[in-house]
Amino acid sequence: MAREECKALLDALNKTTACYHHLVLTVGGSADTQDLREELQKTRQKARELAVATGARLTVALRDRGLASEERAEFERLWVAFSGCLDLLEADMRRSLALGAAFPLHAPRRPLVRTGVAGGSSAVAARALSARSLRHEAEGDFDVADLPELEREVLQVGEMIDDMEMKVNVPRWTVQARQAAGAELLSAASAGASSAGGVSVEERAGPCDPSKALAATVFGAVLLMAVILALCVANLS
Amino acid sequence: MATAAGCTPHGGCSRTQWSHLSKMERMVMSMQDPDQGVKMRSQRLLITVIPHAVAGKDVVEWLVQKFCISEEEALHLGTLLAQYGYIYPLRESRDLTLRPDETPYRFQTPYFWTSTLWPASELDYAIYLAKKNIQKQGVLVDYEKEHYAQLHKKINHAWDLVVMQAREQLRAAKQRRKGDRLVISCQEQTYWLVNKPPIQCFRKALGRNRVKSSVCLEAYLKFSSQHGPHDPIMSGCLPSNPWITDDVTYWTMNAPMVTAPTKLRVERWSFSFRELLDDPMGRGHFMDFLQKEFSAENLSFWEACEELRFGGQAQVPALVDAVYQQFLAPGAARWINIDSRTMECTLEGLRQPHRYVLDAAQLHIYMLMKKDSYPRFLKSDIYKGLLEEAVTPLETKRRSVGCQLHAVVLTVVLPDPVGQVFGKEQSPCPGCPLCC
Repeated sequence: MAREECKALLDALNKTTACYHHLVLTVGGSADTQDLREELQKTRQKARELAVATGARLTVALRDRGLASEERAEFERLWVAFSGCLDLLEADMRRSLALGAAFPLHAPRRPLVRTGVAGGSSAVAARALSARSLRHEAEGDFDVADLPELEREVLQVGEMIDDMEMKVNVPRWTVQARQAAGAELLSAASAGASSAGGVSVEERAGPCDPSKALAATVFGAVLLMAVILALCVANLS
Repeated sequence: MATAAGCTPHGGCSRTQWSHLSKMERMVMSMQDPDQGVKMRSQRLLITVIPHAVAGKDVVEWLVQKFCISEEEALHLGTLLAQYGYIYPLRESRDLTLRPDETPYRFQTPYFWTSTLWPASELDYAIYLAKKNIQKQGVLVDYEKEHYAQLHKKINHAWDLVVMQAREQLRAAKQRRKGDRLVISCQEQTYWLVNKPPIQCFRKALGRNRVKSSVCLEAYLKFSSQHGPHDPIMSGCLPSNPWITDDVTYWTMNAPMVTAPTKLRVERWSFSFRELLDDPMGRGHFMDFLQKEFSAENLSFWEACEELRFGGQAQVPALVDAVYQQFLAPGAARWINIDSRTMECTLEGLRQPHRYVLDAAQLHIYMLMKKDSYPRFLKSDIYKGLLEEAVTPLETKRRSVGCQLHAVVLTVVLPDPVGQVFGKEQSPCPGCPLCC
């Protein structure tokens, strides 16, 4: 059905936008490499394809005058989420253009900011492209060649947003979001709980996993000893 | 909790004011030089080792060497860098000051520099709070809880997107190494600490008194009808419009200080107290009236306060002192009567005089005069005498150059200005270049 299709496309676009955001964070920092720029390019191309597809489907659905009011409300919700996502993508693309131009990689006349991020981001890009792994084919001056392309794409996305606003008129204030405040906590089991432990850097020196592991080992050892002693006692008596 | 000053008001900082940011950025970039930059250390957590940490004292030392400044100044510069979010502390993340000891800091990634991510968008902030909500299982700091609730109300339509993006961004972050994840979340936390969007502003705006449009439109109509006869364009000016007839009698008769004010001018004094005070002649007559009533010190005090507010900065301390001696000191020659609370506040403020220190007292005296002396002035003999003596200049009957008859047609009070334009046909001056 059209609604499920749109929802799936929107979810994919949302995932790609989030991954793109995550990749743009590191531009200009110590993890900025030609590979990163290539990953950025591939991610944004995927994002644009998804955006065009989603936009087309949603426009067709919303311009259909014979739509029931509930269905229309659903589509309008999806539309608002879609245009918000597209705004986020455009903003991140603009920033990556500004940062990419300010921190060129080919001639290091400007050293990169040593931010402490050192690892690779290919896993993030692979997630964005729904691929298992990513192959890097970037040449030495990829970032320079990429900048004009990026500029064109930023303009294209801007035009796409304007175009869609012209075609479909959805007043934002009439849309009621389905998620209530704090909805993200409800299904946080998969997304949050496992990363909750790993992200606090305050008084505790590190994550609690090693100490938990240590406690578990000690307990296990004590239990084992108790069992052995019981067996010995049982054997003796 | 330190927050950045100046630049953070939402939308209040235009791009031209960013020179201080670009200076700080240049400074940060020169610290990155591998040979001449700041000495880098590694931060050792239980298992992970994260590079690129700097100690506070190394930063201070580098600044002192590079710019040949004193340690105090270097400390101040370093604190500014921290407050604008270019470096952040690793242990107490909310304390954005530079300490000249072993406290570790790290540099902020260019994405989160204030100049890149300007202005701080509400959607981004909502996504950040949602992510934090998920990670901390709902335990947020007080002001963050408040912001969360306000944002939920304000951008409710986008809340689906907020939740979706928050979840996906966390999932994307999990694809990174633990060390990188820690660093990135610290960076984001620092950015939002420095650039909290000032949602409190809206509360003030919402709390402002709102007047019904029927009420303010009524006031507007009243103003228009009251001032209509006094407007030289709507109702013509007597004796004649100087721009048309080159006769400047109108201006000389309405000069700030004349012996015989026009009737219209005297009538205008009865519209509002502000009109009376703005007109120097009116103010003079009011002063005479007050002297008869033995309350002239009120107006003198008000005038002295105006002089303080609009006068030169260098004269402020002397003027404040003079005003105090003359009007406010107990047993002063012209002691004004204000209520004790205002007097206390004013005396308190006089310890550090500035040009607005007497505002409260001035307002009190203004309201006193307006409510008490002004109505009595309007009923007084002085005012009535002025009204009778006031002149109404006659329209001049012109015979000389230009189409004066045409001008006369225009100066007659007409409720329908459009009619004047089409009244050309009725003009009795044949062969006149203006009419034909």
